[in-house]
Amino acid sequence: MTLAVREGLRNPGHAPTTPFADLEDAQVVQSFLDGHDRAFDELVARYQVRLLNFIYRTVGDRERAEDLVQEVFIRIYRHLHRFDQTKKFSTWAYTIASNLAKNELRNRSRNPLVLFQTIKRHWEADHRPLQFEDSSSRPDDLFRKRHLRELVEQSVSQLPEHHRVVFVLRELEGKTYEEIAEITGCNLGTVKSRLNRARNNFATIIAPHLD
Amino acid sequence: MNCCEFREKYSDFADGLLTSQENAEVGFHLAVCAACRRFDAALRLGVDTLRALPGVGVSRTFGARLRRRLRGEFVVQVPVVARWSGVVGTLLLVAAVGVIGWDRMESRATRHAAAWPTNGWNPAPLAVNDQAPLYRSARVTPVEPRFEAFHPLNSILIVEETRPAMAGDPARVDIPAVWGGP
Repeated sequence: MTLAVREGLRNPGHAPTTPFADLEDAQVVQSFLDGHDRAFDELVARYQVRLLNFIYRTVGDRERAEDLVQEVFIRIYRHLHRFDQTKKFSTWAYTIASNLAKNELRNRSRNPLVLFQTIKRHWEADHRPLQFEDSSSRPDDLFRKRHLRELVEQSVSQLPEHHRVVFVLRELEGKTYEEIAEITGCNLGTVKSRLNRARNNFATIIAPHLD
Repeated sequence: MNCCEFREKYSDFADGLLTSQENAEVGFHLAVCAACRRFDAALRLGVDTLRALPGVGVSRTFGARLRRRLRGEFVVQVPVVARWSGVVGTLLLVAAVGVIGWDRMESRATRHAAAWPTNGWNPAPLAVNDQAPLYRSARVTPVEPRFEAFHPLNSILIVEETRPAMAGDPARVDIPAVWGGP
């Protein structure tokens, strides 16, 4: 661990010869701890979109998800000097994001009205991001696809919080069972059990609408 | 294999974690059970649709906002060995700042009472009368006040001589109106 102080008091020493973009996460982290502030920009660039999509799929509110991603990076900035560099940085970042997302859902559950408004917003077409649909498809197919997308989003939002986190980490983020166990702080058996239930719930919600 | 067993093993089946025999059993059940076949189709379609949903990107102001917040952060990294000494040092520093601040508050209260008008008169030594307020008027030099005064929660204004008289000291000390002077 090196002694380093932020904001003008750092002594970066020699600049790295390899661009940060070509370094592994562990090397970028070490560069930052050695005093190269730009290394943190590289970490932000690598993880901002991934964390945003993970948190957005978990909490369902894009603006709030962006606030939470900012909070993730603030916490990483504060505590990076205490990060155990034998572990994966990615797992640590996702752990912080997962905890913040779970806290957000728990805070919302105390105010059902807020939850309703958040879901309702996604039902309105003019609040959704622009999507260029396949113009060669038939209109009823397009309608069915749009309906299916809304249904899928709604199904994910209806999953219980601890199922939803595991489901998103596995299906969307592609995390392994071991990584999910580390991120959520659960053992492997619990992860498998929650994932299984999440998939069951998800399919149960969707299946009747596919007829 | 019945449907309950199929549902229990389905997650591992989807992730390719079953043995070849278990895979065969699940596959056979799928072939003969329409409900579980429908379940499998729904999950695959749902997950494929979910993965195909457009991702979201950060807003244009995200980077600027984050930099602004990070500028307010001040992180000091210390070696693990020095962590506790850093805590002790911080506590000592806080205590020292507190003592200095308290001392300055005390002397500020004293100096406030000694904010005499400065027109060059040097007072003669004043006797303290604890029976009635003092109404002597005097003036002090602005550069180095000769007298300090304080008002200890009663009607007595006590003026103390802080240095010997020098040539050029004013002969009078004007007591400000706030202390009962003219």
